[in-house]
Amino acid sequence: MTIIKIRTIAYYTFRELFKSKILLNVFFFGLGLVVVTYVATEFTYGVPERVALDFGLGMLSLSSLAISLFLGVNLLSKEIESRTVYMVIARPVPRYAFIIGKLLGLLGIQVLNVLVLSALTLFSTALLGGELSSILFWTIGFILLESLLMLFSVVLISLLANSILSVLFAVVLLILGHAVKETQGLSFVENNPVLRASLDFYHFVLPAFHKLNLKDFVIYKKSLPLDYLLPNLAYGLTYSLGLLLLIVFLFQRKNLD
Amino acid sequence: MMINFSNVTKIFKSDLLAQQFTALDCVSFQVPEGSMVGFLGANGAGKTTSLKIIMDFIRPTSGEVQFGQTLGASKLEIRKNLGFLPERPYFYPNLTGEEFLYFMGALSEVSRNDIARELGYWAPRFRVDHALKRELKTYSKGMLQRIGFLATILHHPKLIILDEPLSGLDPIGRKELKDVIIEVHRRGKTVFFSSHIVPDVEEICDRVIFLKEGKLVYDGSVNALLVNEQERDFVVHVRGGHELSKIAKTTVALPDGVHRYIVPAPVKDQFIGEAMGSGGNVFSLELVKPSLEEIFYQTQGRR
Repeated sequence: MTIIKIRTIAYYTFRELFKSKILLNVFFFGLGLVVVTYVATEFTYGVPERVALDFGLGMLSLSSLAISLFLGVNLLSKEIESRTVYMVIARPVPRYAFIIGKLLGLLGIQVLNVLVLSALTLFSTALLGGELSSILFWTIGFILLESLLMLFSVVLISLLANSILSVLFAVVLLILGHAVKETQGLSFVENNPVLRASLDFYHFVLPAFHKLNLKDFVIYKKSLPLDYLLPNLAYGLTYSLGLLLLIVFLFQRKNLD
Repeated sequence: MMINFSNVTKIFKSDLLAQQFTALDCVSFQVPEGSMVGFLGANGAGKTTSLKIIMDFIRPTSGEVQFGQTLGASKLEIRKNLGFLPERPYFYPNLTGEEFLYFMGALSEVSRNDIARELGYWAPRFRVDHALKRELKTYSKGMLQRIGFLATILHHPKLIILDEPLSGLDPIGRKELKDVIIEVHRRGKTVFFSSHIVPDVEEICDRVIFLKEGKLVYDGSVNALLVNEQERDFVVHVRGGHELSKIAKTTVALPDGVHRYIVPAPVKDQFIGEAMGSGGNVFSLELVKPSLEEIFYQTQGRR
């Protein structure tokens, strides 16, 4: 029964967002993607398909992260502000079902966004003679996973802080999560045990977004070994699941005032 | 008993440096089964906080809330039999009225057929049938309130809790909603609603609970409040006899040798005796019934 309720909440959350202006953003991103790709390829000699791919994946990643960030931060605060959360959880709906349903609904929009923009990217790449190798699909999957991780991070922070702080913290997490690996490799860090230990600790505890970034490989490689992909996939999924459990735990106990 | 709100205290403290604020101070009251209870208090008295605690949206600092056995044993079972309408809800602006109601009905485990049947009955009564296919963002405040109420009763709850359901409505809208609340109550539902519009509560409730600054001021029947809480007066018309202004609060001389006296209840019998003893003819005796609103404001000022 609870699963049906989660599905119902997810369906109507998706429907509500689908009818909002968010899809216009996807449309404009798509349009922008096509235009920018065309312009960029005109200025490129020899490798237009790589430029198309680079732009396409960049835009896809950017729009997915933006959706996670800005819809995620309002996911609960808006519900409380407009008191819609009271209408839902006053019914025989466990709090965890509410939050999971909301997240799934938003994830549906995220999947739609990724489908539309990746279809455009793949189409332009193929049109310009590029090869649609397996790594491309892995990259798109990892972009979706990265946005999922971002979504859960921002929703979790929004349970503890206000909207502006939540966005700021989440952006800082994203930047650090991408930069931490490069920073760990700096000789200055390697020679400083305290700094090294703190970065190792950070890397261990906070989301390492760089593990889900395949965009650097996709331009130059056709495939990546599974023993690289699978552990990172497992990392992304496990970390997301951990965040989801934490969100549920906090939301179950949150005072909704 | 539908709700037993027992010794509830709620203290808010927004952050470490902020001063704590006691929103509810050891408040206890009960909502009997089958009753229509008005929950009165000025803004900030603690009504919404109490309702949020009843609904388990926030937890009390101390005290507890219990529900009657008729609602069910588990939390989810209780919620199946409970309808709640928050204060000034905005709902989901991009959903249509119909989508929203189907959404709410599905969460309350009402089948689509039953929802359609309920809508067929209630939507015309609430005058929202023409707007069900429209998005909620196009609705007026009154329409949103009516749709909200419809969503609250869609699943035939045994207990209906409404937070300021009549605020923001025009007089016609208030009348319509009051009529529906009365109809639902007559069908055997227990209704508990907060309001700061005293005449509305007086008009439709049989019990009333007063809160002031987080403390319970009164919990009992409306009539008992009207009878006991006020030092009532009588208006007495006497023809003839001599003037009896010593006992009466006020005296007005009317044409034809008639005097109108305002007499405090405790000295009514003595007054009538003296009036008749002086040869007067007491031809009218009428109880001055104060409105709940008057008592409400007197109580607010006094306590």
